[in-house]
Amino acid sequence: MTIKNRAGLWFVIPGIIWVLCFTLFPLLYSLALSFTDKRMGRRNRPGEWIGVQNYSDIFADNRVSEVLEMTLFVIIGGVLVTIVLGTFIAWLFNHDIPGLRAFRAILTLPIFAAPIALGQLGMILFNEQSGPVNHLITGLGGEPVYWLTEPWAARFAVLIVDAWQWTPFVFIIVLAAMQSIPDELYEAARLDTANAWTLFRRITLPLIAPALGTITMLRMVETFKILDIPYTLTGGGPGVSTQTYSYYIYLTGLRNFDMGYASALAYLLVIVAIIITSIFFWRVRARYEVQ
Amino acid sequence: MSTQVSRRNAQQRVGHTLMWIAILLVTLIALYPFLWAIITSFKPQRDALESSLIPWVQFDPIMDNWKAELQTGGQENFNALKNSGIIALGATAVALTLGTSAGYGLARFRFRIGNRNLVSWFLSQRFLPPVATLIPFFLMLQRLDLFDTRLGMIIVNATFVMPFAVLITRDFFADLPKDLEEAALVDGASHRQVFLRVALPIAGPAIVAAGIICFTFAWNEFLFASVLTVRDAQPFTVKISSTGTVRGIHFGYVSTRLLMAVLPPLILSLFVQRYIVRGLTMGAVKG
Amino acid sequence: MKRLIVLILVLALVIPTGSILVTAQGDDPFEGMTPEELFPTAIDDQERQSAMEALLAANLPDARDRFEGQTLTIGVLASGTRGVISGAPYFWRNAFEAVTGAKLEIIEIPFEQMLTTLTVDFSTNQNTYDAIINASWFYGDYISNDWIIPIDDYIGAEGYPMWEPEKVAAPLQQLLKWGDSWYGVVNDGDTQMFYYRRDILEDPEWQAAYEEETGEPMPVPPQTWQQMLKVAQFFNGKDWNGDGDPDDGVSLHLKVGGQGFFHYMALSAPFSITPAEGGDPTAVTKYDNIYWFDPDDMTPVINSPGHVAALEFLQQLAATGSPSQFGWELGEAWDNFLNGNAVMLYSWGDVGSLAQDPNASTIKGKLGGSRILCSEDWYDRETGEFVHNAENSNCVGNLVGASWHGVISSASDVPDLAYYFLAMQAAPPILFWNVVYGWTGVDPSSTPHLFPPAGEASVDDYVAAGYDAGDVESYITGYGDNLFTFPTSQTYLRIPGTPEYWNILDIRLAEAMIGELSAQEALDEVASEWEDITDDIGRDYLLPIYQESIGYAPSE
Repeated sequence: MTIKNRAGLWFVIPGIIWVLCFTLFPLLYSLALSFTDKRMGRRNRPGEWIGVQNYSDIFADNRVSEVLEMTLFVIIGGVLVTIVLGTFIAWLFNHDIPGLRAFRAILTLPIFAAPIALGQLGMILFNEQSGPVNHLITGLGGEPVYWLTEPWAARFAVLIVDAWQWTPFVFIIVLAAMQSIPDELYEAARLDTANAWTLFRRITLPLIAPALGTITMLRMVETFKILDIPYTLTGGGPGVSTQTYSYYIYLTGLRNFDMGYASALAYLLVIVAIIITSIFFWRVRARYEVQ
Repeated sequence: MSTQVSRRNAQQRVGHTLMWIAILLVTLIALYPFLWAIITSFKPQRDALESSLIPWVQFDPIMDNWKAELQTGGQENFNALKNSGIIALGATAVALTLGTSAGYGLARFRFRIGNRNLVSWFLSQRFLPPVATLIPFFLMLQRLDLFDTRLGMIIVNATFVMPFAVLITRDFFADLPKDLEEAALVDGASHRQVFLRVALPIAGPAIVAAGIICFTFAWNEFLFASVLTVRDAQPFTVKISSTGTVRGIHFGYVSTRLLMAVLPPLILSLFVQRYIVRGLTMGAVKG
Repeated sequence: MKRLIVLILVLALVIPTGSILVTAQGDDPFEGMTPEELFPTAIDDQERQSAMEALLAANLPDARDRFEGQTLTIGVLASGTRGVISGAPYFWRNAFEAVTGAKLEIIEIPFEQMLTTLTVDFSTNQNTYDAIINASWFYGDYISNDWIIPIDDYIGAEGYPMWEPEKVAAPLQQLLKWGDSWYGVVNDGDTQMFYYRRDILEDPEWQAAYEEETGEPMPVPPQTWQQMLKVAQFFNGKDWNGDGDPDDGVSLHLKVGGQGFFHYMALSAPFSITPAEGGDPTAVTKYDNIYWFDPDDMTPVINSPGHVAALEFLQQLAATGSPSQFGWELGEAWDNFLNGNAVMLYSWGDVGSLAQDPNASTIKGKLGGSRILCSEDWYDRETGEFVHNAENSNCVGNLVGASWHGVISSASDVPDLAYYFLAMQAAPPILFWNVVYGWTGVDPSSTPHLFPPAGEASVDDYVAAGYDAGDVESYITGYGDNLFTFPTSQTYLRIPGTPEYWNILDIRLAEAMIGELSAQEALDEVASEWEDITDDIGRDYLLPIYQESIGYAPSE
């Protein structure tokens, strides 16, 4: 280690120590909890070591398979919808039209709103009698949708609110990626074709692909944690149809106080998150090493 | 030839018109929910159940909801907003202080463990499901006598928003030419002095961008706050989560409160718009 | 001489008056405080003045010498300074602080987070709260953990506000006690009763139309669920309020997490519970007065044929109202009725008082109330057969709901002050004031709130506070009947884990109501998940607590 490196350590070490202090202990503690039957508020369940019982229980838990349906729906649907819409809007804004800047600013607003408030906003918008969404649908001659009453409609309501918040994020990043594509590439390609779709597919898409890959990973990991929106929008209902895996962990650990089991459920999620992020970083590294 | 040009111009004009329509539509969709909330916040419950949109014409706007939230419940609401502000600012300050330094270190030095790995490690903190660490955090804050304190919440939030600060500033410094700093080192300045006197003063945009993002995430945080605070340090997100009580949903109050919750970061974001785009794109585009 | 006599007379008059004034200045804790200062959250003079009268009538003992400088922290349902349950502590806060010299801190806890907050607080010894205005279903967890203290020694003790435990309706008393000990101080009394539109059901034209369509006279008001269903079917979809749109028969709240399962509990009781034979119909045996679990082994009876029939009935009943009911919480269901869009609903006492508020209701003067309905069909678990009897229907009361009331934390360092506060809220004039003003969410609980023969209140007491005489006559009579005229009442589930059991019931019921599951499938699912919880918490641990909580003595 050279002297230069040691000087560098002083820059990074405070941050590292801080993060270690405040995440390592919680992580180790909940790992330990996941092997016990600890239950808060139950004298007969003080937290005895029960081995991998909690983990094997997960596979026999009906509710897990029920909530996985919603979880996968939100992850896959949320990522797809935001990426397609975000890319389309970015494509719109990537044209040389004067006055777009102000609109871009407005479009970023949803990112900054608290999800817990958006769930409540959704509750008002999707209200079956008085909500504007149903007014629009009936105004266009459709049948009112029972957004908070029918399981699939409720799932879509959660998805729509989530997509409404995060599409702008995708849009901003994709737009930046698009703007970094040199104009000469387009000009050269225009000699062959003037078709916008062909241009997009041949030039734009391949060049923004790395950014799209990154966003996909980021969005996936963030949607894994989705909880605030269904918490206020649907309360997980009707039935359990909008309960996500994270929501289920929350309910298990902090409503029913089954700490051991909730920790095991959470650790399973940690493992999945680690796998996904490893793929992500492995990809990123591959790119950097090529450079 | 000239007809061809004019046809292309005509095509372009049609294209531009279509695009403008699409852009306006998209903007309307982004804004409409906020607009609806604003209108609903001036409606009594009876009118809130109707689809009316235009004040004075379709319904008589009232100030009752705002009065109830700002006057009757004002003290409690302001306390919660103050808590949100202090927690978010505190967390941002901590995250920026430690994060900018780490970002600089990672951009300027090579570490044997691998700079990429370190960056990944910082970022991976974002990927932890918060429910997994909630209970241990609770016990830890309690042990430190920080339960239901703003300081405790600052610590929690700083931990979770620090990755943003590290990533964004690292990318900024990495893009910065090293000439000035190297010249200063040759002149005998220490690394610390170079960082504080040369690099930091020009890192304004990155710091503002990182700060806004840290502030927003800390301001919007709900889950930890709902368990780790009860009264003294309770932020506004927890306060508004309880609008749907046994009496059901009162649309006017809900709208009023949710506007109070979302407006501060929204307004802030408009003021520093150009940093935002930069902050959001840094890191993500480059990985 | 004359002058002297006059002087003596004047002195004789002045001196006692003066001395009264002097002593009053020394002793009256409210001296120098205007009603505006005492009741800052009151919205008008009428409210302030009536509250002032109630406060003085409560005759609170001056306790400043004992409590000066102490701080009392209470936890209460979060609904704001003028909201349900939390509004009253705010309203009386200044008066309490004046009479005790102590400080009152009110911490509002959101409904969904209540159990989380309290359990975390108690089990980590954070002990934030001295007293909690809590829901009755927390008792199992409280008692099994010794988190709250009995208050027997306080009741009637010198130096505290006097309240009247013996005047609390007998079934409600059970919710304030565990075994023979008192733990709770009365506040809100919850029971679900039946409401209808007097003006519509008593309209001869509608009665004639009903008879023409169904071939039988309209029961006014319906006495049984089966009668109610027919009336609801008749009115549903007709424009009986003349607004141009088809209107609803019933108005229910069925959203998951929206307390919809309370509807099921109130309705299913007479379908699934049999009163005991012999002298005491309330006696709990293996088969009688059993609603939740078999009292010998905790096997759920929630999927017994009586329950399934009740749920199927609820599905039919829900079809006579708006399809949006499945997404409604109770506020929306109430509003639908209070805005004149539904003929009937069954719910808590709040509806009766809210109907009087012109800002919330268009049906003042049109409200009818009666006790909750009976069932013509029910299942007898002992014989394993359904019984049908339209003449002698099966009638079972309920205490469905939270019955929000105060308990004292065992970790409090100011339990005396905590009791003073709770007793003050229960002091008869103050409690009555809370009952009368609908926004407090405090429902009638005791005989002074109800009409004779069981009660002591009069229609005029309510009319004085702005009630419509016809409405209150019908509403309070029905409410009193609900508490006093049933041979037996549904047992309240008060075991550790009750919220967890109810949460599952809530979820699966909602699935049955939206047609995801059949009634049988839903309740079978509930039973199987309940078995899991029971095993998880510990059957041997729960069984004696369950037996004790319902008053069942196992036979050897």
